[in-house]
Amino acid sequence: MVNDTSFAPWDDPQERPLIRFQNVTKRFGDFVAIDDLTLDIYQREFFALLGPSGCGKTTMMRMLAGFEEPTDGMIELAGEDIAHVPPNKRAVNMMFQSYALFPHLSVWDNVAFGLRRESRDKDAIAERVEQMLKLTRLEKFAGRKPHQISGGQRQRVALARSLAKAPKLLLLDEPLGALDAKLRQATQFELMDIQEKTGTTFVIVTHDQEEAMTVASRVAVMDEGRVMQVATPEQIYEAPNSTYVADFIGDVNLIEGRAKPNGGGAYHINWAEGQAPFEAKSDMVLSEGQRCHLALRPEKVGIQPNKPEEVNAVQGKVLDIAYLGNLSTYHVELSTGQVIKAQTANTNRLSRRDFMWDDPVWVSWSASAGVLLSQ
Amino acid sequence: MKNFMFGTTAVLAMIAGTAMAEEVRVYNWSDYIDEGLLTKFEEETGIDLIYDVFDSNEVLETKMLAGGSGYDVVVPSGTFLQRQIAAGAFQELDKSQLPNAENLWDVIKDRTAEYDPGNAYSINYMWGTTGIGVNVAKVQEVLGDDAAIGSLDLIFDPANMEKLASCGVHFLDAPTEIIPAALQYIGEDPDSHDPDVIARTEPVLMAVRPYVQKFHSSEYINALANGDICVAVGWSGDILQARDRAAEADNGVEIAYNAPTEGALMWFDQMAIPADAPNPEAAHTFLNFIMDAQNMAAASNYVYYANGNAASKEFLAEDVIGDVAIYPDEATLANLYTVTPYPARVQRTVTRLWTKIKSGT
Amino acid sequence: MGQLERKRGGAPVAMRRLTLITVPYLWLLALFLIPFAIVFKISLSDIALAIPPYTPTMEDGLWALLSQLDFENFVFLTEDDLYWKAYLSSLQIALISTVLTLLVGYPMAYAMARAPEEWRPTLMMLVILPFWTSFLIRVYAWVGILSSEGFLNQFLLWLGIVDTPLKILNTNTAVYVGIVYTYLPFMILPIYAALDRLDGSLIEAAEDLGCSRLEAFWLVTIPLSKNGIIAGCFLVFIPALGEFVIPSLLGGSGTLMIGKVLFEEFFANRDWPVASAVAVILLLILIVPIVLFQRNEQRQAKAEK
Repeated sequence: MVNDTSFAPWDDPQERPLIRFQNVTKRFGDFVAIDDLTLDIYQREFFALLGPSGCGKTTMMRMLAGFEEPTDGMIELAGEDIAHVPPNKRAVNMMFQSYALFPHLSVWDNVAFGLRRESRDKDAIAERVEQMLKLTRLEKFAGRKPHQISGGQRQRVALARSLAKAPKLLLLDEPLGALDAKLRQATQFELMDIQEKTGTTFVIVTHDQEEAMTVASRVAVMDEGRVMQVATPEQIYEAPNSTYVADFIGDVNLIEGRAKPNGGGAYHINWAEGQAPFEAKSDMVLSEGQRCHLALRPEKVGIQPNKPEEVNAVQGKVLDIAYLGNLSTYHVELSTGQVIKAQTANTNRLSRRDFMWDDPVWVSWSASAGVLLSQ
Repeated sequence: MKNFMFGTTAVLAMIAGTAMAEEVRVYNWSDYIDEGLLTKFEEETGIDLIYDVFDSNEVLETKMLAGGSGYDVVVPSGTFLQRQIAAGAFQELDKSQLPNAENLWDVIKDRTAEYDPGNAYSINYMWGTTGIGVNVAKVQEVLGDDAAIGSLDLIFDPANMEKLASCGVHFLDAPTEIIPAALQYIGEDPDSHDPDVIARTEPVLMAVRPYVQKFHSSEYINALANGDICVAVGWSGDILQARDRAAEADNGVEIAYNAPTEGALMWFDQMAIPADAPNPEAAHTFLNFIMDAQNMAAASNYVYYANGNAASKEFLAEDVIGDVAIYPDEATLANLYTVTPYPARVQRTVTRLWTKIKSGT
Repeated sequence: MGQLERKRGGAPVAMRRLTLITVPYLWLLALFLIPFAIVFKISLSDIALAIPPYTPTMEDGLWALLSQLDFENFVFLTEDDLYWKAYLSSLQIALISTVLTLLVGYPMAYAMARAPEEWRPTLMMLVILPFWTSFLIRVYAWVGILSSEGFLNQFLLWLGIVDTPLKILNTNTAVYVGIVYTYLPFMILPIYAALDRLDGSLIEAAEDLGCSRLEAFWLVTIPLSKNGIIAGCFLVFIPALGEFVIPSLLGGSGTLMIGKVLFEEFFANRDWPVASAVAVILLLILIVPIVLFQRNEQRQAKAEK
């Protein structure tokens, strides 16, 4: 996460975006990969394109790299329409999912490859290569061939190579996909560190929401060729704008109901026949009787043996317990048959677990704990 | 044609072979028999005939000297026969199995005895001369109506050859036939075994080699008949076959054969039985069959070569027995010469010279 | 890990390894070394009018055999310029036809590797298909195409490109055509295999790093198909060097190739010892590229591990 809270160029109307997608559509035959998409990405951003496979995120990245041309619309890079500029004429570099390291060249030559295309100054190239190898801590492996180094080292070679030309924009296609979980985490921070050091704008494509949340300044959640929501990771998590986003990012309880405005942004949600309505707050304006969802993160739901003093409390019994080590998630079945997930931190040892299967329990949450979603 | 014939015979033999029938394997020159005789032999004797062909004495000799060729009857020319007898390649014929040997012609027997003393190892199949076949119209078109089509001048004078190159000239790929002719042309003994004398033919042959389209010993029959070439130095009967094919095709090509007026090489193709023949009895049966007067006449009538069978003469067609190109008159016969095999060392000189003539190196 | 397993494996594993190693050597011994020894022995013998046509033979006893062998025939080869000219000319013809085959074969292999997946088996089939016909017939077919009355000349005359038929048959040009045609699949298949394995993202990476299409081809595609190119070149060069059928059917009297010389020595001269000496030298010339080829294959295998 970008710690510098003041970094929010997307909120500054004076700021000109580095990349603008304007009404971009891309069709492959009958298949619409990108559907009338408009999106701005700002300088120095670490921007994540997140979505399931086939959502169009890779197509967007390939259009940025120049491997695909949009069927309609404009793609601007620093104010220039690049929709029809070939890949080798763009100040954009890409780090491939497979790394695409040249197997016949040494690490050093791989990093130097792009530099040699634009300059004949051997000393300058050497200097830049050394700099990149140092940045990615690969000095010791400069003479090795790609098949002689480890996966993590290869990943860093790919990064060094794509950064060597100091592109305005660096594209990362599932950059950590081939690494194991532990290495992935370490590398995420390394990536963020390098992004900050070089000041390059990064666009990362990933299907791993945790990765997107960790590294990105903003995340675009995509589905079926459309951007569902573009926001900071916090906003995406805390204030999803749709059930799709809420469901895609993290774990969520979605309770369907009908809204009854109570004035002052407060609503009663009638969610089941013969049950007391839930209370919720929302900035959104909902009309009387409008269908909506209450999205509730499990960690915001409390679980108690007795009825708590909370505005929303409902009784059920424990259906299932998912033990996650630091956390436990309880699946509580209500009398209506609905299941609500509640998460608690495991401060006690297992032997002294608070609830067992079939225990009658109460789940509760505050009026501001959930998010009301109309779509 | 022959190859096709061979093919069917071989297949028939293969099918029959499953019944373990007796068989005889014959290795003869290409285009050298009336294929009707092959089926006739099988019908008369019940022996399966496997008939294979070659077009150079050298190839035959390589197989003979390697041993284990698997053939029962082979047909080398006189000089090659002599060498191969010396190498022990053949078995003596059992005359008791060859009653038809009485049909043989003394005149030819006397000559072949030079190669095979007493004709102990072989019988004469055909004999002929090496001469010049021309497409009369084309040669006259190139060289004028008074072109010396019967003279060695036609093929050894570079001035003539340069002009003839435009319509195509083939030479036999047989040094033992072309070099004697070149020796004859420069007035040397055609049977000379002296390397220095033989070397004198080099300038003659090198001067005309650029105008020779191909050195080959069988392609010229078709090439001449089709009109692809206008001159071929080749064997009498082959050129007469070309003449016949052209006439049959009615393509306006008129072929003439001449034994060179300066003198022509006379050769004899002898049938012999390899020492390691798998079926010597069947081989004798085949030889006896061939020596039958009517069979021999049929072969000659078909391939336009004279044979060494006196009794066959009465069955020969008029255009064979009456053609001096096939059965020369006394005057021509006097003008024919024969050659004897080269010793190994001279043989190498000859072949090396021949390689040089063919490849220019 | 490997170390541990080997120790634990003990005798049976060692036996199996030994067998695995022995089999190819036995193969080599039976199909290469023994025939070579025979040919080499004949090359040290003298020509004779006998069956077989050289002396001494095994029947003369081992001592007579060894004492009569000499290098006379090899000395003879050096005395006549025909032989080294033939070797040189064969090398030249083999080299030029290898380059021509590469120039024709590479684009075909490239197109195959770039073709849609579902077409590839068909394209592969089309490349292999000519092998279903006799080699001799296929070469002979070129006689019909290249002769002055042949299809090619008739077509060119009909187009009006030439007024007199081109003389192609019985020249070195026809030999090149024959060799390129005959050995094309040997060039295409290894290059195709290399290109097929080539990761398409490498080309994209090269373009992304500033290469034009052509530069990416030159800097990435060519080096990465290098092993295929080398394998293909050797598979064409080695048989082309000793080629006999193609030059004798399509070549002219001026086409000088060692395969033809070998044939002449064997069949026209009936001089087995000299023919064997020619063959031994040809083999020595071939061993150099064969060893290079083997080393390339091994290096490639190692790199892939």
